[in-house]
Amino acid sequence: MNFADMHSTVISTSSSVQVERWGTLPGLGDIHLFTLRNAHGMRVTLSDLGATLVSWHAPDRAGRVADVLLGHDTPADYLASRWFFGSTIGRWANRIAHARFTLDGVTYQLDRNDGDNLLHGGASGFHKALWNAREADGALVLTHESPEGDGGFPGTVTANVRYALDDDGALTIDYDAGTDAPTPISLTNHAYFNLCGDGLADVPDIRGHVISIDADAFFAVDDATIPIERKDVAGSVFDFRVCAPIGARLDWPDEQLARAGGFDHCYVLRDGGVALRAVATLYDPASGRELTVSTDAKGMQFYTGNFLADVNGRSGRTYNKHAALCLETGAFPNQVNMSDAEQVVLRPGERYRHTTVYRLGVR
Amino acid sequence: MTRQHTPQRTHRIALLFNANKVYDREIITGIGNYLLSTRVAWDLFLEEDFRARLNGIERFEGDGFIADFDDPDVCEALTDSHLPVVAVGGSYEDASKYPPNLPYIATDNMQLVSLACKHLIGAGLQRFALYSLPESPTNRWAQERELAFNSLLKADGLEGDVHRGLPTSAPVWHQASVQLTEWLHSLPKPVGIIAVTDARARQVLQACLISGIPVPEQVAIIGIDNDPLTRSLTRIPLSSVIQGTEEMGRTAAHLLHQMLGGARFAGRRILVPPVGINVCESTKHEPLASPYVMRARHYIRQYACQGIKTEQVADYVGVSRSSLEDYFRRELGCTVHQEILKHKLDVAKQLLAQQEMSSAEVAIRCGFTSLQYMYAVFRRELGCTPREYQEHLLAAASSTQMP
Repeated sequence: MNFADMHSTVISTSSSVQVERWGTLPGLGDIHLFTLRNAHGMRVTLSDLGATLVSWHAPDRAGRVADVLLGHDTPADYLASRWFFGSTIGRWANRIAHARFTLDGVTYQLDRNDGDNLLHGGASGFHKALWNAREADGALVLTHESPEGDGGFPGTVTANVRYALDDDGALTIDYDAGTDAPTPISLTNHAYFNLCGDGLADVPDIRGHVISIDADAFFAVDDATIPIERKDVAGSVFDFRVCAPIGARLDWPDEQLARAGGFDHCYVLRDGGVALRAVATLYDPASGRELTVSTDAKGMQFYTGNFLADVNGRSGRTYNKHAALCLETGAFPNQVNMSDAEQVVLRPGERYRHTTVYRLGVR
Repeated sequence: MTRQHTPQRTHRIALLFNANKVYDREIITGIGNYLLSTRVAWDLFLEEDFRARLNGIERFEGDGFIADFDDPDVCEALTDSHLPVVAVGGSYEDASKYPPNLPYIATDNMQLVSLACKHLIGAGLQRFALYSLPESPTNRWAQERELAFNSLLKADGLEGDVHRGLPTSAPVWHQASVQLTEWLHSLPKPVGIIAVTDARARQVLQACLISGIPVPEQVAIIGIDNDPLTRSLTRIPLSSVIQGTEEMGRTAAHLLHQMLGGARFAGRRILVPPVGINVCESTKHEPLASPYVMRARHYIRQYACQGIKTEQVADYVGVSRSSLEDYFRRELGCTVHQEILKHKLDVAKQLLAQQEMSSAEVAIRCGFTSLQYMYAVFRRELGCTPREYQEHLLAAASSTQMP
């Protein structure tokens, strides 16, 4: 199957992105899988359902290839899932307190899908949509139009997400969007990483992973995980300016950790929002796999899979607490209700742009 | 945790470690890093030679201790201390072996051995052995590593050989070496050996070299500690598990900092897993069929940089030059000369990466007959000059390093 056979909106006929039909969903139609490959045996599988990063097969120190992402088996599983595995999150990534914000004097009420709050774009978030796919220069570009009133947000937003894999093991995700009325926007990817890979029958959790995060501050949260105070990381369990094993940190006595059941906090990245630069590294000593995260975003949510419990995962696996972790780059949670709200508002004629690069290598 | 903004008095803290070893030094480094990252001001008490002396410790006019509880004397001296104490040491399988009323920051012995095992399995090995230490109250962690090794192998339905050997001392050194060599010869090969410390790993490596056992083809070796001193004493670079020592220090300092503010963490245990493996030649195991190729590579690995020729390799292996070439072509798809050159090139690349030597010095160190020849080899094999190679590394480092 190639892009020309897929459906009428596809224009490219080049074959460097492999396409296959994954299944059919009532009301949405055919769902596809797209595979990007590089020269070193790495392959990234994406879907037009939710512009989702489905799998990332990468070699370990000894060259054995395994999938480093959590996921489900079928499109129906993804549609029914509440875990956001690898999906593109929009129009607003993370939470908005009381599902409400005021823009240009008008107060908007959004979907409440996380207690009193809005989470990840609401019930009809970008992750549940079927995106249009096309290939461009070996990369996959997915496009989605979010109508006026989607999740309660004003304006029609047209969003593009471009995935490109290079021979250096870098998966570059470029987000680009425009609108016909002012609206807050923050897009991210919700990939759950476990660098051990799925090669072993019994995959260890991420407690043995070692992480560094280039941030001097983070947001402390309330019981609903809404940021309440910006704090220095110095002297606290949140200080990952020097790399540290995650498992040991999860055992530190700390009221914020106890409140969230682990890490589920947004870091204020150093020199955030200025230019694309490395902001975090994640390392699994056993496999030798190392993930480097680079972004031009201001914030990064570090989430240690605290809510995972008995989740039916891929290939008959069950995912439990700390089975994987997420490094979600974007605006700050609830920033639309903070003093710097204007920075996250997109107006007609402007473009929203955000680039995040996940690079996998071995050490 | 909120940082204290109010001015506070300087606390006097004693660090009781025997910091003549890299493990203890790195823990102290971690404590120092924690203090530097905060506004916490501690007046640290450390002996001038960084060794713990316990005479009169009960009269210490201070505010708290961070101490090495692997040392039974420290254990005993501090168990009933009225001052806040954070204990640091090895983890125990049996929870009753932890001091009951203190917070305890442990290096996770199970994870250390598990990581070493996984690494050897990843290198293609199927038989494993552990070189430990004689049982002693001062190295209970070695016994814990034995327990971990045995239970890990048992879980996989395997059996592993554990050799404790003799304590290291000059009078019994010869006897210890003989015993160790006998043990090494008795093991079915190929085998992956985990040593409970780098110092122990070095003894295995040395015994293998002296008795002509090819490393890593017949015996792959991994130590624990990633001690730079040990590395500089071995001809074949030693792989080693890197303990989370700095993180242990940071964690201990953080807990004591909270305790000085009134928090109580009696009985809390934080197990710190290893943070990496330094993968070197001693575990770069590739199963080979021909014992001649194995022995040849073993020789090349040790002496490539001393200007050896194919002739000398064949002499060492004990076959004619032409049959050795045959074996090499069949198994490795290259000539003996190419293998020697490849090894020299690898060493040259490593030395250039360290940025400490001129190209001319690197050429001499690697046994190239002239600088011009090294340039020619670089251009042919890597498509650049040594200088360009170095610049490329620098550029790559500065683009991936975090600001």
